[in-house]
Amino acid sequence: MTALAARAPAPAPGSLYRAAMVLAWNARTYRRTWRATVTISFLNPIFFLLSVGVLLGDLVDRRGADLGGLSYLEFVAPGLLAATAMQLGAGEGAFPVMAGLRWVRSYHAIAATPVRVPELLAGVLAWACLRLAVGTVVFAAVAAAFGAFTSPLAALAPAAAVLCGLAFAAPLAAVSASVDSSLALTGIFRFVLLPMFLLSGTFFPLERLPGWLEPVAWATPLWHGVALCRSLAAGDVDAAAALVHVGYLLALLALGAVLATRALERRLRQ
Amino acid sequence: MVEARGLSKRFGDFLAVDSVDFAVVAGETFGFLGPNGAGKSSTMRMIGAVSPRAGGELLVFGLDPAADGPAIRQRLGVVPQQDNLDLELTVFENLFVYGRYFGLPAKLVRERAQELLEFVQLAERRDHRVEPLSGGMKRRLTIARALVNAPELMLLDEPTTGLDPQARHAVWERLYRLKQQGVTLVLTTHYMDEAEQLCDRLVVMDRGRIVAEGSPRELIARYVEREVVELRFAAGGDGRAGTLDGVGKRVEVLADRVLIGTDDGDATVAAVHARGVEPDSVLVRRSTLEDVFLSITGRTLVD
Repeated sequence: MTALAARAPAPAPGSLYRAAMVLAWNARTYRRTWRATVTISFLNPIFFLLSVGVLLGDLVDRRGADLGGLSYLEFVAPGLLAATAMQLGAGEGAFPVMAGLRWVRSYHAIAATPVRVPELLAGVLAWACLRLAVGTVVFAAVAAAFGAFTSPLAALAPAAAVLCGLAFAAPLAAVSASVDSSLALTGIFRFVLLPMFLLSGTFFPLERLPGWLEPVAWATPLWHGVALCRSLAAGDVDAAAALVHVGYLLALLALGAVLATRALERRLRQ
Repeated sequence: MVEARGLSKRFGDFLAVDSVDFAVVAGETFGFLGPNGAGKSSTMRMIGAVSPRAGGELLVFGLDPAADGPAIRQRLGVVPQQDNLDLELTVFENLFVYGRYFGLPAKLVRERAQELLEFVQLAERRDHRVEPLSGGMKRRLTIARALVNAPELMLLDEPTTGLDPQARHAVWERLYRLKQQGVTLVLTTHYMDEAEQLCDRLVVMDRGRIVAEGSPRELIARYVEREVVELRFAAGGDGRAGTLDGVGKRVEVLADRVLIGTDDGDATVAAVHARGVEPDSVLVRRSTLEDVFLSITGRTLVD
């Protein structure tokens, strides 16, 4: 037991280091579970792209739909990119927090170490960011191969999608840390995220919605993500609008992070 | 190592810890003995710098947990009541990942993890996943994990609750060896045999307050007689206890048995028989901390 006897003064690591260690832990856990997530993170989005973008898109284009000069594939691919990011981000915000606090209680183990709660959350969101980056880049590459992008600015679309995903990850982490059972999460996925996915301009221009629903759709974070990705993909960026989209998504990310920190502090430091 | 004065913890209207004083010195094994809900775990969480105190003073390593939580946690080893190992990871990875949170270099953590796995006899499970391990193995792994930062002070919250007798002894043996190496241990338990086996000094807690303090031997000498005569009666026989008044120094009537505190067990048994009381079974044994708790609070430790 020489290790126990020798008590070298331990170095005091910084916040960034500790957040990075939380990130490294998430990555290590993912090495055991990635198989279960491949379908939902990579294959499903690509099937969507193929069936809706390419095959259904062909029918839409033959009807001569007015999509601002875009083919249906060009219209829908950036929308699907943002929606995929939403789904990935929401999942990464919700379930790891549920597991860490309740199912496995690993966050309670971390809370007993020098890691502070904001560092824990930063590590968790950094991991979500990394997964979003990989997921969106893969999706964008496939979409580009289908010929869905017309502008070199499309190279920035994955970054916009990552921001969109994080704007869902942080608030869902806050909800997961606040609620007492995962039923609330199931409800959010079914009754908030799914309608958003279908109605926030991913598949059709918002003007097609009934008048009263249009402003509701404008207010959803997914529409801002879709609009941002679409403008980049088509190379048709309006600086003021882009700023509003980015600002809105950043604000949601920040709000979610503040609320998640508070809720986690309540759970782990009571 | 730890100094508390007037330490309190409140959950809403409920006063979980009510102004307790205690001190833990380096190298000793200090115990909190009491039934569930006595405030032991809340006290441990305050020492562990994860739970803010509602009142009083608390110093751990001379630092205030409210201000220096991370610095305190850096030097602590914590074995929680409820296992929180990473089930997806291997035995070794659990130690490695945890050690990294303390800012220790990867190489050092690897060496320590290997040694600790040998210490808790899990070396041959090194690359197995944690999920299928037995309860006793998980507990030993949790103890190894708590040691990965070579803590100066170890906090163990009910380290053997829920384990079978064999696994409990394996854990006690490891803790005893740590104690011999000079590691300061603070533990909570509602098992009097655990407190007797491990603790140099302990406080007895009940309803958020400390009701007695001392070494196990001192407490027994102070609060109870040397021996206890346990009488068991067939159903409905408890009423006979009335005729036992004055037969020993202290008579406690419990649901399933009657306990008589005495300095001379055999003489007391003879006296019981002389009164014509005929229990189903008679047992003479040494007094334990359980009897101390019963004598102070009138209730048993484990319901």
